[in-house]
Amino acid sequence: MTSSPASSESAASALPPIQYFRITRHRHIAWWGSAVACLISLIGIALCWLNPAIGAPLKPGLDFTGGTRIQMERACGSNCPAITVPQVGEQLAGLKLPGDAGAPAPGLQGSPVQVLDQGRSIELRLPSLSAEQGNAVIKQLAGSLGPFKPGGTSVDTIGPSLGSQLLRSSILSLLVSFAAIALYITLRYDRVFAFLAILCLAHDVLITTGLFAWLGLLLGIEVDSLFAVALITVAGYSVNDTVVVFDRIREQKSSLSAFPFSDQVDVAVDATLTRSLYTSLTTLLPLLGILFFGGSSLFWFSVALTAGISVGSWSSIGVAPTLLPLFSGKGFAGAAAEDGSAPAGAS
Amino acid sequence: MARQQGLFALILALAIAAGAVLFSFPLQLGLDLRGGSQLTLQVLPAGAIKTVKREQLEAVKEVLDRRVNGLGVAESTLQTIGDDQLVLQLPGEQDPSRAAKVFGTTALLEFRAQKAGTEREMQGLLRLKRQAQSVLDLSRRRTPADQAQPTLPGQPAAPAPSFPPEDLTKVLAELGVTVPAGAGETEQIEALLDEVNKRVVALYEPAVLTGKDLVTAGRQQQQTGTGWDVTLNFNRQGGEGFAKLTQSIAGSNRLLGIVLDGRSISEASVSQEFAAAGITGGSASITGNFSAEEARDLEVQLRGGSLPLPVKIIEVRTVGPLLGAENIRTSLVAALAGLALVAVFMVVVYRLPGAVAVVALSLYALFNLATYALIPVTLTLPGIAGFILSIGMAVDANVLIFERVKEELRSGNTLIRSIDGGFSLAFTSILDGHVTGLISCIALFALGTGLVKGFAVTLGIGLLLSLFTALSCTRVLLRLMMSYPTLRRPTYFLPSRQLPSPVA
Repeated sequence: MTSSPASSESAASALPPIQYFRITRHRHIAWWGSAVACLISLIGIALCWLNPAIGAPLKPGLDFTGGTRIQMERACGSNCPAITVPQVGEQLAGLKLPGDAGAPAPGLQGSPVQVLDQGRSIELRLPSLSAEQGNAVIKQLAGSLGPFKPGGTSVDTIGPSLGSQLLRSSILSLLVSFAAIALYITLRYDRVFAFLAILCLAHDVLITTGLFAWLGLLLGIEVDSLFAVALITVAGYSVNDTVVVFDRIREQKSSLSAFPFSDQVDVAVDATLTRSLYTSLTTLLPLLGILFFGGSSLFWFSVALTAGISVGSWSSIGVAPTLLPLFSGKGFAGAAAEDGSAPAGAS
Repeated sequence: MARQQGLFALILALAIAAGAVLFSFPLQLGLDLRGGSQLTLQVLPAGAIKTVKREQLEAVKEVLDRRVNGLGVAESTLQTIGDDQLVLQLPGEQDPSRAAKVFGTTALLEFRAQKAGTEREMQGLLRLKRQAQSVLDLSRRRTPADQAQPTLPGQPAAPAPSFPPEDLTKVLAELGVTVPAGAGETEQIEALLDEVNKRVVALYEPAVLTGKDLVTAGRQQQQTGTGWDVTLNFNRQGGEGFAKLTQSIAGSNRLLGIVLDGRSISEASVSQEFAAAGITGGSASITGNFSAEEARDLEVQLRGGSLPLPVKIIEVRTVGPLLGAENIRTSLVAALAGLALVAVFMVVVYRLPGAVAVVALSLYALFNLATYALIPVTLTLPGIAGFILSIGMAVDANVLIFERVKEELRSGNTLIRSIDGGFSLAFTSILDGHVTGLISCIALFALGTGLVKGFAVTLGIGLLLSLFTALSCTRVLLRLMMSYPTLRRPTYFLPSRQLPSPVA
């Protein structure tokens, strides 16, 4: 909190007081932390890709693979007769669906089934069905598992061709927006700043992707087109965050020009620390609203955003500024003096 | 001071206008919030057309528009997407299968004469067809009815609708129809019927008369029985063609086939009395013993004309109204919880300016909703997520400004100067953040589809509006308050111990 008074433990004579800590002294911890996180993410993505059941960097959802998702709410209030996943699966296997335009109906055996809300609602993931077949599934299941609440069912069918089209457009919009953001930053800032901002963007997007690769491996969480939206939003936000710190470094360049560059970075990070944390926090708070109250359809979307924005906040404090002296060729002040030894952090 | 008051009055007027807009233009809710069905259709290239172009898409849309209107679902909309897709929205409709059926067919209607010398084969097929049809009708608990044999007097009465399993297997094998293992009786009969209809069509001459020459189609209940007929009216050319066609087969044992989308839906004989001139008058009826709904759908398709290109349904989304209401409730709670959390945070951390920011934020939410109503933006779940996220980004701007104000105060500046300094120094960061956000939104809007677009639109509007509210509303409100001496205290901005020295 800002209310904690500055302990004024500043070492430099005329350097503005450092309120919290000198980030460049902790740079090795910061770099290692980020490197390990990136590595874990890459491993997760690789495992996903090598996994024969997934075979892609992330587990693709209905949006990308095509198929039919049916959700039904049972009309039995709090005293629903218990129901298990195998029971539903058994019923599914016995369904007789009408053919569609001459083609026989696909078999439904072994389709993934979820029973939610203590057996009050059922979610099915089926091969792509026609509208008529989808209705037939609901009607026929109502006999054994129902009755279902009228108006409490939803059916989403995505054809395989649309699935690949959605995947293409998602990847394309990811690439285009990354490129456009990079271009804008390059125009507004000098080359090193722009390079680091983009590096941070890649870092944030990679870790968010890695998280979902692991979630896909361990919990079977799938990514949909909203995940791509979350990644693009994270990218925009990451740059936004980094720019706040860089702005400050640029601004005080002349007033602190007598000090080593790493000191300038320390001062800038320290001065913008509350800002960086608060801006992330104010974005995270509404996201927490969606996370806890937004219902199931937006849950993983807000998880992706929350993770990405948190990582983005970290990289704008710990990664981008500490790399700046390295890449601008100015080195670290007193690097020889405190090299290797764990730096005694200021308060 | 007078200037601040003037600006304040302007903001107040805007707020009232926004309220009025919201009151008179209700927000448009997407189908995931109100319940209903949405179908996405892909127009497929066919024949000489290799890629679907804008004008072909429009031609398809025109035909489908007529069919949609014929369906009689209130507030249905049909829109084109890109160069080869159409989206149909049916609010409140929970069973999209009828719409899917009406859409999926090209409705190419053909009148074809039977080839000479195929009478025996045809009779065998028609007998099979009648038998299969009546068994199917019975199993579907509909009135058993022959598919179409109205003008064939002297036919033997339909046999009792049953199909012994061994006969069925034999017939299927004869016709070379393979059914998947484990298929039930109904499925086998359906497969049989399909094959029979295909073979019947093969016995016809090429079409000399198509649905193109139809002027209108109608339906009427049969005078005897409970079925419905579909009536046809040809234009002059069509009437002549029909007369010629019927004349050519009148009195022979050859039949007149009515073929819809490659399936024979009706076969009729033309009696001797028309041998002289054919059936004239330019009208005819398809006596197919349709149910009321089938007759209506067929009429709609025929009246709409045939599709210039075939379409394929690639996406169907149906949401029940209960689920929609649930979605509205949860997203409303999420939005309010998010706003409340942000409001508490701002007031605790930033005190007086924090409270001002909360007022500005409420105005921001109001302006946002009014903009949605004005444009109009159809609100969907991802759209609401975009709105909630934009609240966070809007507060960002305020945080940047207030942190700057605090810094200026700490370094000993006067209150008014600190406020002005805070706004001007934070501007570049705010602008950069908003521009990068808008770049993402533009990319998402230009390249995304459906739900993604909804998110991009609300987030984009939010970012534009937040530039306005953060830089003007907050500032004007804050400056106006500073004109009251009782509010002009640095401790309303910052705990006193962080101040360098008591400010006079």
